[in-house]
Amino acid sequence: MTWDWSYAVEIVPNLMVGVWYTILVTLASSAIALIGGLLLAILEIASTRLGRTFVRFWLELARGVPILILLYFTFYVLPQLGITIPAIPIGIGVLGVVYAAYCSEVYRGSLITIPTELRDACVALNLSQYVTWQRVLVPLMIKRAVPALLNYVLGLFRETAMLFAIGVPVLMGEAQVAGNESFRFLEPFTLAGIIYMAMNLPFLYLLSRYKDKHA
Amino acid sequence: MEAVLEYWPVLIQGLWVTVWVSSCIILGAALGAIMLGVLRVSRTGVIRVLSMVFIECIRGPSALVLLFWVFYALPLLPGMPQLSPLAAAILVLALDGAVYGAEIVRAGIEAVNRGQADACHALGLSRFQSFTKVVLPQALSQIVPAFGSLARGMIKWTSIVSFIGVQDILYVANNVRAQTFETTIVFCLLAVLYWILTVLCGLVFRELEQVLPLNRALRAARAPSAYAPAGAAQ
Repeated sequence: MTWDWSYAVEIVPNLMVGVWYTILVTLASSAIALIGGLLLAILEIASTRLGRTFVRFWLELARGVPILILLYFTFYVLPQLGITIPAIPIGIGVLGVVYAAYCSEVYRGSLITIPTELRDACVALNLSQYVTWQRVLVPLMIKRAVPALLNYVLGLFRETAMLFAIGVPVLMGEAQVAGNESFRFLEPFTLAGIIYMAMNLPFLYLLSRYKDKHA
Repeated sequence: MEAVLEYWPVLIQGLWVTVWVSSCIILGAALGAIMLGVLRVSRTGVIRVLSMVFIECIRGPSALVLLFWVFYALPLLPGMPQLSPLAAAILVLALDGAVYGAEIVRAGIEAVNRGQADACHALGLSRFQSFTKVVLPQALSQIVPAFGSLARGMIKWTSIVSFIGVQDILYVANNVRAQTFETTIVFCLLAVLYWILTVLCGLVFRELEQVLPLNRALRAARAPSAYAPAGAAQ
């Protein structure tokens, strides 16, 4: 079987739908991951033993169990409990929650590098806990964490291909549907691979620019 | 619960396939990572750039996309072999691991003091000798812990091999689920099994760290002073 250009051109619009969903899922779940991770990190540092145990459990779950299993679990078990959610929110939620755990590690790591004198200074200035976190610690944490966080967002983008398993029409899913309809797998999968590779470029550009600026 | 446990022979078989695939890809990735990592810090600019391009090409599409491409699209190209599902899975996942590991190896090599390489040069060791005998043993104490957490991740990657028909634990468990309708129990069991596997992998790598040359040497250097009589130290 050889490469068929007319067929390749024919499926491009379908694949573009997949690209759109991939971007949507990536943006939505990275928003959950970045904000959720920050909240988890603050919870772990500022709260009691209960909060810490909760965060540890979450982290262990994200580290030890494949995303695919968590996806299947939420997709098949929730309906049994009487909750029916469409596939796209499930995919966004699971990816977001798993990567929130990873991001919380990053935030926590960057908090450790902030000198303790800064917190002492906040106490000396009689800033409230809330203002200390909101105006001093969180902005610094985020600033230091950006490259590592960007790496995780890139990882999250690559994992979105997995969502085709529960029927989210991400690029991978669209390529498989196109292949199954015509029994031609060469063009859809090759095009999908190339598009996925090209979609990495903005991330790599951002990462390299950040490195130039701060290293 | 009993209904699921009745299927234990197939579940064990599936678990065995997962363990087997994981060990193969971790070993393959370790070897590939060292080779790619060395190319990545080569003195020749062309080799450095080529290895970087190769790394980005493998890393760019996720393992899943690559796996589907190798299994479904590659055989359609003239002269390319039709790989068995197991071979395709091991090949793709090991390559992906090697590519991620290459960056770890590169960082490890760059962390070794430059003076060490200069000293090897002064002693007349060849470049190969100085790498295998001096630089790599020291770099390993940086590389192994980071590679350990990559290996933990790689065990989780194996869950995608069921898509192309490798009969791993996820594949088997999906069949069991279809026959018993015990969805919750099956997936909880799966989650626990994967979690145990990753924890075991972490333990293995912690043991491995103990026997690394540099760590052993550091311990040996510390040991005599610890056991020396108190008067001798003063």
